[in-house]
Amino acid sequence: MLLDIHGLTKNFGGLIAVDHLSMSVGEGQIVGLIGPNGAGKTTVFNLITGVIRPSAGKVEFDGKDVTGKSPHILAKSGIGRTFQLTPLFTDFTTLENVVASYYLHPRSGFWDSLFNTPKYRHNEAYALEQSLKILDMVGLSKVKDERAKNLPHGYQKMLGIARALAVQPRLLMLDEPLGGMNTDEITFTMDIMAKVRGLGMTILVIEHNMQILDLCDRVVAINFGQKIGEGSVKDIRNNPDVIKAYLGEQNVA
Amino acid sequence: MHTESLKRQRRNITIAAICVVVGLLFALPQLGLSVYFMHTLIGVFIWIIVANSLRLLGLSGQGSIGHAAFMAIGAYTSAILAKFLGWSPWITMPIGVLVTVVVGFLVAVPFTRVRGIYFTMVSLFFGIGVLAVNQVFNKWTGGYSGIISIPRLFAYIKTPYYYFCLALMVICLLIMYRLEHSRIGLTWKAVAQSYSVASSIGINEAWQRILCLGVSCFFAAIAGVAYAHYYVILTQETFSFNTSINVFVYMTVGGAGLFAGPIAGTAVLLIIPELLRDLREYVPFIYAAILLIVLFLMPQGLAGLPAQLWQLIKRPARAKRMASEKEVGERAP
Amino acid sequence: MNMILTSTVNGLVLSAIYILVALGFGLQLSIMGIFNFAHGAVYMIGAYVTYGLSVALGLNQWVSLLISVILVGASGLLLEKFCFRPFQSKPTHMIVMAIALIMILETAVEVTLGGVTRALPAFVPGIFKAGSISVDNERVLAFAIGAVLLAALTFLIQKTKIGQQMLAVAQDAEGAALQGIDTHRIAATATVIACATAALSGSLMATIFSMNPFMGDNILLKAIQVVILSGIGSIGGVLVGGLIMGFLNAFLPVLINASVGEVITILIVLGILLIRPKGLFGYELF
Repeated sequence: MLLDIHGLTKNFGGLIAVDHLSMSVGEGQIVGLIGPNGAGKTTVFNLITGVIRPSAGKVEFDGKDVTGKSPHILAKSGIGRTFQLTPLFTDFTTLENVVASYYLHPRSGFWDSLFNTPKYRHNEAYALEQSLKILDMVGLSKVKDERAKNLPHGYQKMLGIARALAVQPRLLMLDEPLGGMNTDEITFTMDIMAKVRGLGMTILVIEHNMQILDLCDRVVAINFGQKIGEGSVKDIRNNPDVIKAYLGEQNVA
Repeated sequence: MHTESLKRQRRNITIAAICVVVGLLFALPQLGLSVYFMHTLIGVFIWIIVANSLRLLGLSGQGSIGHAAFMAIGAYTSAILAKFLGWSPWITMPIGVLVTVVVGFLVAVPFTRVRGIYFTMVSLFFGIGVLAVNQVFNKWTGGYSGIISIPRLFAYIKTPYYYFCLALMVICLLIMYRLEHSRIGLTWKAVAQSYSVASSIGINEAWQRILCLGVSCFFAAIAGVAYAHYYVILTQETFSFNTSINVFVYMTVGGAGLFAGPIAGTAVLLIIPELLRDLREYVPFIYAAILLIVLFLMPQGLAGLPAQLWQLIKRPARAKRMASEKEVGERAP
Repeated sequence: MNMILTSTVNGLVLSAIYILVALGFGLQLSIMGIFNFAHGAVYMIGAYVTYGLSVALGLNQWVSLLISVILVGASGLLLEKFCFRPFQSKPTHMIVMAIALIMILETAVEVTLGGVTRALPAFVPGIFKAGSISVDNERVLAFAIGAVLLAALTFLIQKTKIGQQMLAVAQDAEGAALQGIDTHRIAATATVIACATAALSGSLMATIFSMNPFMGDNILLKAIQVVILSGIGSIGGVLVGGLIMGFLNAFLPVLINASVGEVITILIVLGILLIRPKGLFGYELF
């Protein structure tokens, strides 16, 4: 398994946000982590990516223990991620966002950068070329010189994915990629995700919107920080606990 | 394609203009520059280095109002070594810079715990703290009365100092420009915009902020040691809170968003009072008036003025057209 | 023994003044989110207006004080509208704005009255005696007025409607605006209160120590230290922070020496900033 999570737990004061969650993501899969609002999805996400430290439990990536490691270490070991709310460098242009994200591979040192050595120039040319390719793939070429903060919401989310791809991750973690999107944008985003899987990348996607299930190989459903179901898409669709969790939410709404 | 060539053309014009200005600055002593004005310009060169080093620090999102403290560390180290141990200033100056950079890196480690306005507060009290330490060690630093007759770099004539400081400024500016426009600057700017996004792409954002402070200290210290061995006197007032604030004002009034900003700000705010020195006691009013005019009328600062005027003269029609297009666009959905 | 007593009295007086100035500074910080570095200059202007009215124009000193507080307080309206509001979301520009204000105010005083150090005559000349303790009346007065004003401000903020609105804006300006609170009016009120208390503290301090056009610079730093120590948004915190700073500043110079005392104070402030940026009692603002 590429990503293994054992008994992940997080207490905020007395409140248990995530309770002994175990799950795994296999190489090349698209795994969905779903649940109603407030189920603790984003907390799980932040625990895996090192933004917050777990109270207990273990996160293993590619056979190595990465529990509680800093976000930049996790990025180095091969996890790329998007953000739900502030996905971008807002003052950069679309292209600059992706070029800046080519920080790890290839990596240019301080002195190489300062003295503009051939190695540095080669690296930068590569980063630029790859960035343009990625922008082309996610359909943002036409707005490459726009400032990111002026982009429409759907484009910003797409740019978030492009940025995460620039890390050249083995595992891509998407935080509510469909949030706030209209039907066309949802279809487009899901096409992109399928393309990314075609590149041989593993995806863990956190989503509130059940439409994501069409793409997933396996699904884990959580509510109140606890796992309430796991299995194939069909299992989850028929799981009474999952249905109840979502129905309950609709009743409240 | 068209905009590419336009861009290249504009770039060539800028480079030519800079060469002319720098050439003129190098020629000035031969053209009969008065000793008094030469003195003023040497000051301008030194403070331009500091103001730009402050802007460099700002690239990583760290605004400091205690930057003079780093100048002070370099200046006092070099001055004390040269005066009390009798070493040549040419040796003590690099030592002063080195010491400052080491101190800069060391204090930067705890400073990474705070961001934004809290960093600014930390920098303020760090600056005051360095002054207070200076008082405690007044046996060496001279305390309030300061340290005087620091060994000179050159004899009592100003021309070599003028060339030395001008060359120092040009080299420092070139390096800082290069830093900003390389991946290093890109990374710092990324950290400034969002540290969480930056760390998600593998940037060790704490280290980048430490690095940025260390590099900024390097340039501040260069200006500090040049100051010490030119003015040959350092007092409590030299690197006080007011000095730090002045540098901050040079940067902001010139335009913190532009590389030319601190250069324009320092030059204007240091030279205008000299030109008006007959009105001595009213100079602060004029100074304050410049600040207010820039604050209210020039959002990009002094260095942004040419672009602003250009926009005003050349593009009213286009601006109007764009505004109406935007309106239509907003109404569409 | 006598030394301890003198320092304690000094500590109390300094605390009262620090707390008053820090409250004004902190009020503007929490409500408008601005670091008003010109607050010290306002404090200085308050002292000079009182001086000008009483010594130069020969008015009764108490009347002069009252007019000074009202005048400087009212000028807070202009400050808020023309100097602070346009730069509320731009901290760097706000710092430059404050510098311009300081330059104008300090130079105006220096040009008209000269940079010499002056003294404001005592409001209540004489010495206060209680048993073996004897203190200038002026210090007792400063402490008493400080304490009364502090109580009044606490009452204003905790118990009145406008005070509650201030707290709401301080905690969440956007939310408060959505609830129909006029945030501009609250900001203006806060600035007026800050300017008026600064004028009062400046005048009181000018009778105890002395006055010069740059007297505000030092007190401003002390006020910022108190605010950092206590954290933003807690009146009780400012009280404790002010007492700590007042006593440190009264005792350290006597116990050790002034410069080492200064280093220790700065180290405490830096330590708190780095370890607990929220201060000892506050919540994080940004």
